[in-house]
Amino acid sequence: MVRFESMKICAESFELVIPISYGSTEVIDTGTWGFQKPETIFMTAPCEEACPAGNPIARFIYLAGDGQYGAALETILKENPFPGVCGRVCSHPCESGCNRNQYDDAVSINALERYVFDATVDRSPELHSVPNSDPKKIAIVGAGPAGLSCAYFLALMGHKVTLFEARQELGGVLRWGIPEYRLPKSVLKKEIGRILGLGIEIKTGVAVGKQISIEALNRFDAIFLSPGAGRSIPLGIEGENLAKAWRGTDFLQRINSGEKVRVEKEIIVIGGGNTAMDVARSACRLGSSVTVAYRRTKKEMPAIADEVEEAEQEGVRFEFLVQPVEIKLLKNRKIRVKFQRMRLRKTSRDKRPRPIPVKGSFVMLEADRLITAVGEGVDLSWIPQALSAKGFIKSGPSLVTEGSRIFAGGDAVDQQRSVVTAISSGKRAAISIDLSLRGQDPEEVFSKIRIGSKETLSMETYLNGRERGNWGEPKGVVVYDQINTLFFKPSERMWGERIDQSKALKGFLEVHTGLSSEGARLSASRCFSCGTCNYCYNCYFFCPEGIVSFDPVDRMRRVDLDHCKGCGTCSRACPRHVIEMRLIS
Amino acid sequence: MREFMTGNHAVAHAVRLCRTPLIAAYPITPQTPIYEKLSEWEASGVIKGIMMRTESEHSAMASCIAASLTGVRTFTATSSQGLALMHEMLHFAAGCRTPVVMANVNRLLAAPWGFWADQLDSLSQRDTGWIQLYCENGQEALDSVIQAYKIAEQVFLPVMISLEAFFVSHFMEPMEIPDQEGVDRFLPPMNLPHQFDMEKPGFLVPVVSSELYRKYKHMAQTSMDSVKEVAVRVDHEFKATFGRGYGIIEPVMMEDAEVVIVTAGSITSTARVAVKALREQGHRVGLLKIRYFRPFPREAIQQALRGKKKIAVIDRNNSVGGGGIFCQELRAALVHSPDHPLTYSYIAGIGGTDVTPEVIQGIVFDAINRTGPVDESIWIMEE
Repeated sequence: MVRFESMKICAESFELVIPISYGSTEVIDTGTWGFQKPETIFMTAPCEEACPAGNPIARFIYLAGDGQYGAALETILKENPFPGVCGRVCSHPCESGCNRNQYDDAVSINALERYVFDATVDRSPELHSVPNSDPKKIAIVGAGPAGLSCAYFLALMGHKVTLFEARQELGGVLRWGIPEYRLPKSVLKKEIGRILGLGIEIKTGVAVGKQISIEALNRFDAIFLSPGAGRSIPLGIEGENLAKAWRGTDFLQRINSGEKVRVEKEIIVIGGGNTAMDVARSACRLGSSVTVAYRRTKKEMPAIADEVEEAEQEGVRFEFLVQPVEIKLLKNRKIRVKFQRMRLRKTSRDKRPRPIPVKGSFVMLEADRLITAVGEGVDLSWIPQALSAKGFIKSGPSLVTEGSRIFAGGDAVDQQRSVVTAISSGKRAAISIDLSLRGQDPEEVFSKIRIGSKETLSMETYLNGRERGNWGEPKGVVVYDQINTLFFKPSERMWGERIDQSKALKGFLEVHTGLSSEGARLSASRCFSCGTCNYCYNCYFFCPEGIVSFDPVDRMRRVDLDHCKGCGTCSRACPRHVIEMRLIS
Repeated sequence: MREFMTGNHAVAHAVRLCRTPLIAAYPITPQTPIYEKLSEWEASGVIKGIMMRTESEHSAMASCIAASLTGVRTFTATSSQGLALMHEMLHFAAGCRTPVVMANVNRLLAAPWGFWADQLDSLSQRDTGWIQLYCENGQEALDSVIQAYKIAEQVFLPVMISLEAFFVSHFMEPMEIPDQEGVDRFLPPMNLPHQFDMEKPGFLVPVVSSELYRKYKHMAQTSMDSVKEVAVRVDHEFKATFGRGYGIIEPVMMEDAEVVIVTAGSITSTARVAVKALREQGHRVGLLKIRYFRPFPREAIQQALRGKKKIAVIDRNNSVGGGGIFCQELRAALVHSPDHPLTYSYIAGIGGTDVTPEVIQGIVFDAINRTGPVDESIWIMEE
């Protein structure tokens, strides 16, 4: 029975021609009528699942799109200490995961990450650290992206970190491998400075195994080994030790240490990875004419596709399906490389096709110099034998090695090699070390702090549950079918700007200058924000009961459940699958 | 100012002259020229208000109701299927006592499909609580819109002005457009006692008890009863200001008439010619034009038909199973009259078929030749 008295139809309204109620229909608990309720369920975007570093992509893009670049930076820094580096050199697997690929084109996530760093370069972000009543002492060996990331996250958790680095400067492959035109030293310096600002003790010029022994590190509560893989793998053929043949990593190190490297006119680079591309493009900048020889085809090259394309644009020539078999010094001081012609044989579906020799077919190339870049190996000379296997430091899913309290990660362990996977393993090691020192099983916790169904871990989730020692279950990943595409319009993907090629080839100026502010705004506006509320207000506008509200201050979405009939309109109107209807039990 | 124009544009001129600030409509043939003219004027700034192009007639009427309750004059125009779609909101407009004014161009209701004149669309909305009047020509449509605002804003009931498809809506005639000053003087600003008060937010259309519902319906009836008197007064004022008046009914050549033809809408003008010709032939024929259908001018009709022997009601409409609707209403109005006249119902002009002076003469002769009562409607079916 409806309670008429509560309607308070005014006495004076009797004088009017129609009834007006000055009371409220809120007295009727329409919320008891339904059998389901909307629940705000923040979900994982597929880009976030695809990012090995676990960048909170949907959230940082929302903030960037709103012009809150400082907050966007701080959001990334919860999961990744290197937005400036990754925004430049990452192979951005996130963009392959982007749901927008199935609609028109992926969002320019990588370029946006860079824009967020560039737009906030003068600011000091607040870092999300937590108090620690029982700080431990941890040694990290090797200050590349893995070691620095591990140091960063351990420091955020209040541990005392000492970083041992054999070289005089920190950064590892970021400092000595990647050339300036891809990653300016100023960017790296800024990011390392931010990490060191957390109070990390550094010992540069200290090579473990030389200046101090690995046993000397036993005074620490835990050790993380991240020495990287800095040794060019030899070709293993006749003539490669000629003075006319250089190792790619040596070449890049000399350039990156500021040495004025002189290189001849005609160069052959052997290899198809990022190092080969860095070598080839650096040589172009030193005035050489470069031919890259690779034993498979362009499609199989491990280098980032954009790097290959840009190398081609800069005039690098490619010779595919060739494998060197012999190097000879000619009388005219040139060298001649004899290549075996190869063809590809398909293997199982997931693996790259294998190159196999075409019998009796050879190719001869002559040049002034040869630079090899067919992969890098790990220097294991100082590692106890028990800790290594097959050319790597041996570690399991929690990155713990055979040695007690010794963990290892980055390029020195058997994992995919990229900057972002190194960062990922630094984070994984930090969480693993923290858990081990607290007497908890890392692998058990990992399953709860995963981002999506892959291996990436969320530091934010870890820290949120760390005090309680209790974590929920990982959130689901939004698939394309869960996006309500009616609310989007096809739009063109935005690309960053580049300097003129003629200018680029004159030196080591950074080639990419990034998105324009308008480009960044448009890029951010293309994001579906899969699983993350971006205050589009659709639920607010579509709710037929008018019971969805947004707090203007904290912008929290609220539903008056006492008056929600459970119609589900908000859930269907949500373009990004943030609201799910749940049956009332 | 005298201008040669269609009935539709005449309606648009009236809306312009009434300075209606909120027009909400959806286009439909044969009403669309009203919509287009007002749209054009909105775009060029001739009219100052807002023209809402709503997604349906239902929404158009809902918009008019809401706007009206903020205390502003509102207008919409529709026809046939559009009016049918509006049906639910028509009850709300009347129930909320909003003085909305609407022009309805009488068009047949599907199925089968067609665009031609037929009064069934508006007569189907008989019981929605709207004041309804039927116009003989474009000039009357123009003048009736202006009168309608003045009536509606005194009794707080909505008014539907009906003009027939093409015969009125699209026929061009020379018409007199009143001057703005005169209309401004004639039509004072609207003052709605129950308009929304921003200082005191309230909720309209609350659930009410049975007794309250009855009370408000009775109040609406009382207001509707007062319309006849108000309409006569307004018509007099209008005539005094602009020189044209129409009455709520119009008796023509009724003295000594033995047969009276009753019409509503455009057939009236044809009937005027037919009656004149019959008179010249020596037949004692009169004509009664019914302008108001709601409220039905019962007393005026009773008085006008007192002592008449035969009545022939021509309906451009038919309630299937009931017959001509004007005739039904007229018979009901005369039921207590002494010497109740023989009242014949003729269905003519359905679906926009032409009702010529010859057709009307034929009806008169048919009525003259009949001696006893006929309950059913008589269909005029010549090709």
